[in-house]
Amino acid sequence: MRNLFTGNFGIDPLTGQTILSEIRFYLPNTLELVLFSFVIIIIVGVALGYFAGMHFSTLGDSIARVIYLVSWSTPMYLAAIVAILLFATFIPIFPSGGMYSLSISPPQPVTGIFLIDALIALNIPAFVSGLQHLILPALALAFVNFGLISRAVRSSILNVRWSTYVKTARAKGLSESEVRRKHILRNALIDATSLSAVVFGWVLTSTLVVEELFAWPGLGYDAYQAIFSSDYPVLIPIVVIFTLGVIVANFVADVAYSLLDPRIAIGGHLSEVT
Amino acid sequence: MKSLKFRQLVLSNRLSSLGLAIVIISVSLAAAFAISGGRITPYSPYALNLQDSNLPPSFTHFFGTDFQGRDIFSRVIAALPIDLGLPIAIVLLSSVLGIFLGMAAGYVGGVVDEVIMRITDLFLAFPTIIMVLAVAATLGAGLVNAMLAFVFVWWPPYVRLVRGGVLEVVAEEFIAVSKALNSSFSYIMFRGILPNILPSVLVYATLDVGTALLEVSILGFLGIGIPPNTPELGVMVGSISYGLYTYPWQALFPAFITMILVVGFSFLGEGAREASDVKVRPYILFKGRAFRKAPKITKQELAKQ
Repeated sequence: MRNLFTGNFGIDPLTGQTILSEIRFYLPNTLELVLFSFVIIIIVGVALGYFAGMHFSTLGDSIARVIYLVSWSTPMYLAAIVAILLFATFIPIFPSGGMYSLSISPPQPVTGIFLIDALIALNIPAFVSGLQHLILPALALAFVNFGLISRAVRSSILNVRWSTYVKTARAKGLSESEVRRKHILRNALIDATSLSAVVFGWVLTSTLVVEELFAWPGLGYDAYQAIFSSDYPVLIPIVVIFTLGVIVANFVADVAYSLLDPRIAIGGHLSEVT
Repeated sequence: MKSLKFRQLVLSNRLSSLGLAIVIISVSLAAAFAISGGRITPYSPYALNLQDSNLPPSFTHFFGTDFQGRDIFSRVIAALPIDLGLPIAIVLLSSVLGIFLGMAAGYVGGVVDEVIMRITDLFLAFPTIIMVLAVAATLGAGLVNAMLAFVFVWWPPYVRLVRGGVLEVVAEEFIAVSKALNSSFSYIMFRGILPNILPSVLVYATLDVGTALLEVSILGFLGIGIPPNTPELGVMVGSISYGLYTYPWQALFPAFITMILVVGFSFLGEGAREASDVKVRPYILFKGRAFRKAPKITKQELAKQ
C-alpha cells in the first residue's frame, strides 16, 4: 500500500524498466491528447447545444439532435477507423499514427508534453508535425464524446429560455445579445460543467481504443499492450491513474460549479447570494 | 389508458419511431437466429474456410469474409443475440438491483439511506470501463463473467434515480393517506411507489441499453472478458488490427452495425424521455403550437409599450 502512494510500482517484467519511468513517459502524451480533444468537445458541444436550444422545434434543431445522438451512439473504434481510412489513406492529409514524423528531431523533454516542449525549444517543424499527428486522434475522440454536453446544454437552454428570469432580464432593457450571453448561455454552462467531469472520464478511458489504433504512445496504448500480453503489474498502476484522473476531474468540476453558480456553496448550505 | 397515451407519444416522434423500428428488426433477427439454432444465416458463422479468407464484399458474401474465411454477414447475425442479449441482461439486472436498493434507501431512510448512498457514491467515482476491465480480467473470459463484471459497476445510477423518485413520491398525499389507512409496507412499496417511479427507470434503461452495448463491444474490442472467436461485434472489429488498410471491410461492417444498433436504442430512449418530460409534452402533443408562440419581446416593442 505504501508503495502505491509513493509511486513505487515496481518493474515491468517485459521491458525491465521501472513502471514509474514508463508512466512518466506515457502520461504527458495522454494528457496532451485528452486535453486537446477536451477543448474541442467543450467548444463544439456547447455551440451545437446552444444552436439546437435557440432554434428549438425547427429543422436546425432536428439536425443538431440527430448529430449529437449519432455522435453519442458511435463506438470509439468506428470513429477512429473511419478517421484513419478517410483522412489518412483515402485523402492523405493527416498521418495515420504516431506522435511526430521520424525525420523530425524531437525537442528536449521539459514538461513532457510534446507540443509545449517544441514551443519552449522554438522547434517549429517539430511543433507543426506534432500538431498534424495530434489532430486526427483528437478529432476522433471529440466526435464520439461531445454528444452528452450538447444534450445537456440544449435541455438547460430550453428550461431557461422562457423563464421569468430571462423575461426580467429583457424587461430591464438588456440587449438581446446580452440576454443570450449573460443570462441564457451562462445558465446553460452550469449544467454542462457538472457533466464535463463525466465526459472527461469517458475521454480518458476512450484513449484505450484511440491510442491503440493511432499508435499514440500514451497510457491507453500501454494499457492495451499490457492487456494483450497479460502484463498485470503494468495494468494495475494505469487503472489507478485513470481512476485518480476521473476523481480529480470530478473535484475540479464541483469547484468550478460552485464558482459559476453563486447559489451553491462548497460547504453544502445555501449562501446568502441568490 | 396511460400506457396507450405513452405509446402514442413515442410513435408521434419521428426519432423514436425510427429507433423503435431498428430495435424491433434487430431483436427479431436475434430471436430468429436463437430459435432456429443458427440456421437462418447463409453460411456457418463458426466454421473455418481458409480457401475463401479475406474476400471483399460481393453478392455471395455481402460483407466479405474475415481472415479465417468466415462470412462476416453470417457472423454479424450470429452476434446479434450476444450483442443485444448481454446489454439487455446487464440493464435488467442493474435496474432490479437499483430499484430494490433505491427504494430501501429512499423509503426507509436514516442509516440505511446513508450507507447505501455512500457505497453508491463510491462506485460512481470509478470510470466504468476501467472497473469492468479489472473485474472481467479477474473473473476470466466468459460471457456470463462479462455480464457479472458489468452488473458490478452498472447499478449505481439506478439507485440514485430510484431514490430521487421515491423521495418525491413519498412526499405526496396519497402515500400519507395510504399509511393512515394502515396499508401494509409491501402494499405501499409495490402498489403505491413502484408504479410511479417505473416510467422514469424505463426511459433511462432504454437509453442505457445503447450505452451498455457500446461498452460491451469495447470490452470485446480490447479482448478482455469476452472469449476470442466469439461472434461479437467488438471482437470482430478488434481481430483486424493488422489488416486495416488491406481489408477495411472486416472492421467497418461490424462497427457500423454496432453504431446502428446503438442509434436505435438512443433514438427510442430520447423520444421516450421527451414523451415522459412534462415540460416538453405539450409541444409533442400539439406539434409545436404550444411553444412556437413563446413571447419574443424586442427592444422596439418594449419602447412602443
